[in-house]
Amino acid sequence: MSKVKSFAGGTHPPGNKGLSSGAAVVRLPAPEVVTVPLCQHLGAPSKPVVKPGDEVKKGSVIGEQNGFISLPTHSPVNGKVLRIENVPMPHMRSGQAVVIKTESEDGGDVYEPITDWKNADTPSLVNRIKEAGVCGMGGASFPTYVKLLPPKGVKIDTLIINGVECEPYLTADHRLMLERVDDLVTGMKIIAHVLGVTDPCIGIEVNKPDAIKLLEEKGARVVPLKVQYPQGAEKQLIDAAVGRQVPPGGLPLNIGVVVQNVGTCVAVTEAVCKGMPCTRRITTVSGLGVNNPGNFNVCVGTPVSVLIEAAGGYKGDVERLISGGPMMGMAMFTDAAPVTKGTSGILAMSPEEVRDVEEGPCIRCGKCVDVCPLNLLPSVIATASEYSRWDDSEKAGALNCMACGTCSYVCPAGRYLVHHIKRAQNEVRALKRAREA
Amino acid sequence: MAENRVFDVAVSPHVGSSKNTKRIMWDVVIALMPALIAAFWFFGPRAIMLVSASVGAAVLTEWLCLKFMKRPVNFAFDGSAVVTGLLLAYNVPSGVPWWLPVLGSAFAIAVAKQAFGGLGHNIVNPALLGRAFLVASFPVLMTAGWVAPMEWKDGQRIDVQSCGVPTSHLSESGELDALSGATPLNALKQTFNWEGDSERSEEVRTMLFSRESLKNLFMGRIGGCIGETSVIMLLLGALYLFLRGVLEIRLPLSYLGSVALFAWLFGGPGWFDGNPLFHLLAGGVILGGFFMVTDMVTTPVTKKGRIIFGIGAGLLTMVIRRWGGYPEGCSYSILLMNLGTPLIDRYTKPLSFGEVSSNG
Repeated sequence: MSKVKSFAGGTHPPGNKGLSSGAAVVRLPAPEVVTVPLCQHLGAPSKPVVKPGDEVKKGSVIGEQNGFISLPTHSPVNGKVLRIENVPMPHMRSGQAVVIKTESEDGGDVYEPITDWKNADTPSLVNRIKEAGVCGMGGASFPTYVKLLPPKGVKIDTLIINGVECEPYLTADHRLMLERVDDLVTGMKIIAHVLGVTDPCIGIEVNKPDAIKLLEEKGARVVPLKVQYPQGAEKQLIDAAVGRQVPPGGLPLNIGVVVQNVGTCVAVTEAVCKGMPCTRRITTVSGLGVNNPGNFNVCVGTPVSVLIEAAGGYKGDVERLISGGPMMGMAMFTDAAPVTKGTSGILAMSPEEVRDVEEGPCIRCGKCVDVCPLNLLPSVIATASEYSRWDDSEKAGALNCMACGTCSYVCPAGRYLVHHIKRAQNEVRALKRAREA
Repeated sequence: MAENRVFDVAVSPHVGSSKNTKRIMWDVVIALMPALIAAFWFFGPRAIMLVSASVGAAVLTEWLCLKFMKRPVNFAFDGSAVVTGLLLAYNVPSGVPWWLPVLGSAFAIAVAKQAFGGLGHNIVNPALLGRAFLVASFPVLMTAGWVAPMEWKDGQRIDVQSCGVPTSHLSESGELDALSGATPLNALKQTFNWEGDSERSEEVRTMLFSRESLKNLFMGRIGGCIGETSVIMLLLGALYLFLRGVLEIRLPLSYLGSVALFAWLFGGPGWFDGNPLFHLLAGGVILGGFFMVTDMVTTPVTKKGRIIFGIGAGLLTMVIRRWGGYPEGCSYSILLMNLGTPLIDRYTKPLSFGEVSSNG
């Protein structure tokens, strides 16, 4: 194994991955009714092309792409459209979804497999990844095909596959690397082929030695990374793996790098080699608030409550229900929300796991400054935000913050730093829009 | 499907480290305890009485201020007032009357801390401002209250050599009797003033810098303020803070390094002939370096700023020791640097990740 690398700063919250890392992925059948959101990706929601009463086939398009940064949405089942309505989404908002009564999960519409992808032309591969609705499976859900179309004049020379999974509790990517390693390596090769990159690498934290060993056996170039949060954040991963820094407000492609999640690689393989649209994903269900934490292969549109049942149901008091990891995940008010392509985990947290402290005054200890992976001054931005001094918070770098939560995690005063900074971001952006208008 | 429950929502992150303000403050209190044991050993039960009075006054003042301002009074028990009370008492000689540290603590909490908005909002270190207030208001008590250290033997307290310099040597001229229980820094300062008598100055300095004298400084068998004398006990407390992850390492390292450097540079009678070890061990540098320079509230939050703060405080300490009106400059140097903290923070704002300096 080569030298263990890392970025500067960060912290190391307890991983709690042992709860579910040993549990092999269980494939759950589609529930009787699936609620498929039309905005599972970042960007414009897809436009519904079905109406109540329509028969749909598994893999058929139910929402068409609506703009450049957008994706089509497919039905995960054969069945009948019941209604199209607004439903609560995992990220606290509501969004339009197609509710389908499931009849079966057999066969269904698929695209023509491109088995000889090595000789296929780039546009047809990119088009396939687009029409199959593949988006980033790490959580941000950015349409994958957009990342494969660098603007003119931009030369991509590095592809990094993100197998870091630095969020505590989550083990979906870990299990995927162990159980779908061949599809993962193929997907990595397809993406490298599309981008014209010759030597892609995959970054994995050293707390997953089995995955590192397996991938090295399969011939992948693994970059072992220190167990440190947020090692899997795109900018930090690039810095650690290849020593380049994305400028503030910039994108990885500005420095010739593309990062793709391991789950995305598998979805690309399915889209290209098997012609399957992206309608399933692997999700971790964990936390001390469920009886049997585990990893599940589920249809998008499956209600969270079904996943909780599959994990043995709630255990004791559940203080908080989270979509994603405990550091950046969103708290959900209801388990009726559906799983989307970006749902990397569902956590039912017991009161003793959740930090619930009263916010105290800043004691200027500077811990947040020490750990901030983006070199910001979180306490300064947050204080400016508390006093509604938006100019000051912008000058202190509010817009550069990615809300990784490291500062709030270490803050001894229990300040809701991320909350204050996000608020500053919203206000600063609103002011900018107002000035431009 | 069971009836859907409604869950509370909150902003991420949903987990947090176990460190909190209260624990940090009480860790500092624990780290200051070894020095209290040394104070009891060398200065007797009176030292404990003064420390208790000071701590009691600090907590009571905090409680009264909060009550008066209709703010939550449980802030009085977060440990920060206890730290202030301890540090203030550690910075007065053990020969002072009991009401002196009480007054100092009350001033420290009411004026230096609560008047500025309480925990996290004070501009200067409350304990040090309290001390400065006492030095300015009761200069005689604060400079004549030195008590020679004693030790316990068979339940009896016996005198020990105070500063490694025989008293007779200092009182030769007849005007220096007050130095009988003085501190090593006092003795050193005197040598700089005997300009016509360089032989005697040299002799006293040789004694101060002797192995025996440095050993006494390290153990705390010297005259001085209640909590500042025993280097070994203070280092023990600092080690505890370090192991607990509470100690910010840049501040003490840059401060002590700077004191050592400038002590060597101009701490002696000429240039480049000072004794860095003596200057590190004597006076309040170790107490200041690990417990006051490191005060979170009044020092810069940026990494570079903390190093600048430490270097600046070290320089000022040595300038006061060598040329100032007081033999010891530790507390004033930190107070002065405290005032510069906002400015330091402003000019040491780090570049964001991936940001390139506009100067190229």
